[in-house]
Amino acid sequence: MSTILETVGVGKMYGDFVALDDVSLAIAEGELVSIVGPNGAGKTTLVNVLTGLLKPTAGLVRFRGQDIAGIGPVMLARRGMARAFQLVHIFPAMTVRQTIAVAVVSQEGKGLRFFSAVDDDRGVRDRVREVASIFGLERKLETEARYLSQGEKKLLDIASAFALQPEVILLDEPTSGVSSADKHGIMRNVVDAAKKAGVKAIILVEHDMDLVAEYSTRIVALTAGKVLADRPPAAFFSDPEIVAAIVGKMVGRLAKEA
Amino acid sequence: MKTAVGVFVLAALATLFALPSVLSAYYITLVLPAVAYAIALLGFNLLFGYTGLLSFGHALYVAVGAYGAAVLSSKLGIKSFELVLLLSGAAAVAAAIPVALLSVRYEKIFFGILTLAFGMLFHSFLFKFYDITGGDTGIRVLRPSLFGNEFKDLDKTAFLVGPFYYYCVGLLAILGFVMWRIVHSPFGLHLVASRENRRKSEYLGVRVRFFRLIAFSISAFYCAVGGAILAINTGQADPELAYWTHSGELVFMAVLGGFANFFGPLVGAFTFIFLKSELMGLTQFWRFWLGLTLIVIVVLFPRGLVGVGQDLWTRLHKR
Amino acid sequence: MTALFDIVFGGVFHAAVLFLVAAGLQLVFGVQKIVNLACGSFYALGAYFGISAVNWAIAAGVPPVLFLPVLILSGIVLGAIGPFIEALLRTVYDRDEAFQLLLTFALVLMFQDVLRYFWGANPQQLGDIASLYGSIQLGAVKGPAYNLLVILASIVIALGIGAFLQKTNFGRILRATAENREMALALGVNARVMYASVFTLGTILGTVGGALVVPTAAASLDMPVELVVESFAVVVIGGLGSMRGALVGALIVGLMRAAAISWYAELEMLAIYLVVIIVLVFRPAGLFGKAVE
Repeated sequence: MSTILETVGVGKMYGDFVALDDVSLAIAEGELVSIVGPNGAGKTTLVNVLTGLLKPTAGLVRFRGQDIAGIGPVMLARRGMARAFQLVHIFPAMTVRQTIAVAVVSQEGKGLRFFSAVDDDRGVRDRVREVASIFGLERKLETEARYLSQGEKKLLDIASAFALQPEVILLDEPTSGVSSADKHGIMRNVVDAAKKAGVKAIILVEHDMDLVAEYSTRIVALTAGKVLADRPPAAFFSDPEIVAAIVGKMVGRLAKEA
Repeated sequence: MKTAVGVFVLAALATLFALPSVLSAYYITLVLPAVAYAIALLGFNLLFGYTGLLSFGHALYVAVGAYGAAVLSSKLGIKSFELVLLLSGAAAVAAAIPVALLSVRYEKIFFGILTLAFGMLFHSFLFKFYDITGGDTGIRVLRPSLFGNEFKDLDKTAFLVGPFYYYCVGLLAILGFVMWRIVHSPFGLHLVASRENRRKSEYLGVRVRFFRLIAFSISAFYCAVGGAILAINTGQADPELAYWTHSGELVFMAVLGGFANFFGPLVGAFTFIFLKSELMGLTQFWRFWLGLTLIVIVVLFPRGLVGVGQDLWTRLHKR
Repeated sequence: MTALFDIVFGGVFHAAVLFLVAAGLQLVFGVQKIVNLACGSFYALGAYFGISAVNWAIAAGVPPVLFLPVLILSGIVLGAIGPFIEALLRTVYDRDEAFQLLLTFALVLMFQDVLRYFWGANPQQLGDIASLYGSIQLGAVKGPAYNLLVILASIVIALGIGAFLQKTNFGRILRATAENREMALALGVNARVMYASVFTLGTILGTVGGALVVPTAAASLDMPVELVVESFAVVVIGGLGSMRGALVGALIVGLMRAAAISWYAELEMLAIYLVVIIVLVFRPAGLFGKAVE
């Protein structure tokens, strides 16, 4: 198993505030790595660094051996990494077909075609249908995204990321705002789709510890910008100190919210 | 649906071609600017409707087209209208690229203000540098040749309402077709995606700034073509063409017709020109009524005339 | 020496008036997030109405010393149109910016003809009222006292707005609303009253600005559309929404215009827009604005 995405001693400061401190992790092919931690632990910053949106103030970020620090979302998509969003991030007025087609067009390098009708492009059309059917959206192809249910919006967001045929996909709380009954459905769908599509690694940022325990191959826990633990689920959940530090805080947070 | 659009377009074009045999020359000289604005609006709406960027300075490119026609015809002696269009369009693209490079870093109101500032920069250049631009009187525009034919036997009006009119309607048809293809192309899809959600589109590989730069340049080209036609129609290129209120009129037309629809701005251009000329004939206070019309459209019918038409259509079909 | 003084004095005078209009623009943008293209129309309305007010005052035998207060008062009275226009703008607060901008553009068109209807198409002048106030001598240089009074009045108004925003309860609520609209509304700020008052205040700043300038310049129908672009330059240089920005921006634009007019008239507006563009390239949010993306 070879490393596909790694950070080496990554630090990120906002003025005097240390958001990330000496974070080193390596993600190998075939893994599903979950990033967990209480709010303010630096998860979002780490995700933004991993996806090339933020340039770290220290350390390296490498994807397939190449430096991707701060390269930005467009280049990231081209190199083969995709990201789905925490809050539903869709194109409200575009249909499911058009949304997925945006990614297919990028992936096939057809963005600079000014004069061919995208609807008549058989390659794009077939690919869109294929991706939609993986996520059970084939019957909604002509529905505008704003009229989809919350769960369908999530699936569409993830489906469009998959349409880029990425090697690595980062899922930022893919099930937030979805009923707990649907959460497992979405996760199973994503994991199956990843296998079918040849996605080599998945990074998952998630609050729901049941999902994390069930699907992860490894769990990285952050507190105050540092890596507190980096181990497989069994070893993670059997260590009472870590569970107290991470899960305890998160349970506390959830209790407060409720 | 597709066939309905096709029938509608063919009917509209046939009507435009038939107009000179029905209407007097006076009205045809009114249709001509409407055709010119329709072409300019095709470009303007690629940026406004499809890309979601509201420029309050696109009159600049209309003016570049007009002054291009003026300089080329009366100072450099170039007669061929085809060459005038190409060169003026190229000049507009050249003027648009630096403006776009700066402006596409922003969105919304900041984009609007920045484009307005550039428009006014050009206006004061036209206005103040008398030696080059003729100051507030501008530059005369000479009659061009169409496909090498100068139509020397026709007087000015006969030329304008005759060959020139048909030429411009043909131009509208061709440029309209090209724009239709552009907005339905993969490129157009990416523009719309960047309008809908910029960050998400970037993660899906849409090169937002670069594509917006291209859209800006294309829109400038279309505006310049419209401007060249306007200038030949009036025989004059003057600085008012670049003034910010003229940019405002372009936005007015797009919203009047409905910028969410491909044909909306075209409907808006024709309606605006006729409304304006009718109001000007009725009262010296035509701006007041024009402003009131705009308020009614903005407040009550934000989807414009085409939106109103679509609503009526669906209501009729439900019965 | 005298030439330089004339430039600075003329520039600061122009800046004083520009500041008033720009401050109105900033207030309204800060709270309602609407860029009001009609700010120039308020300014022109203030100018025309000011002429009528002073003419009326002359007919009523009001002593000339009181013309300045009459002008300021006439500008304040015009604030009465503020709530009505705000009620119209209210219909588009939650709509796309394009609609907001266009609605104020419609007002520009309408005001143009309202002015034409009441005062005619020809420029209106107020005779030589300014010279009634005499001139002041400062060493080797001298300038009209009226202009100095306007500068002082503008400074007083600027300080007044500052005190109002910083010290009064309403001012604090207003700033809180500008900072975080949802939060303020959630905390029970009466949005209707707030918006109507802010817009009226913005209107008054514009109309007073126009009224103050009229003893030194003619009121014309070109005034509104020309002033809009100048005040835009001011707020873009200073940063949208910032009062301090309006002040600094007004000084820059006023002084540059005065300098350009006396040295190389062709550069007048050109120079101003160049500064606007340079500022936007290097400091996109303006000198005192918050970062935007």
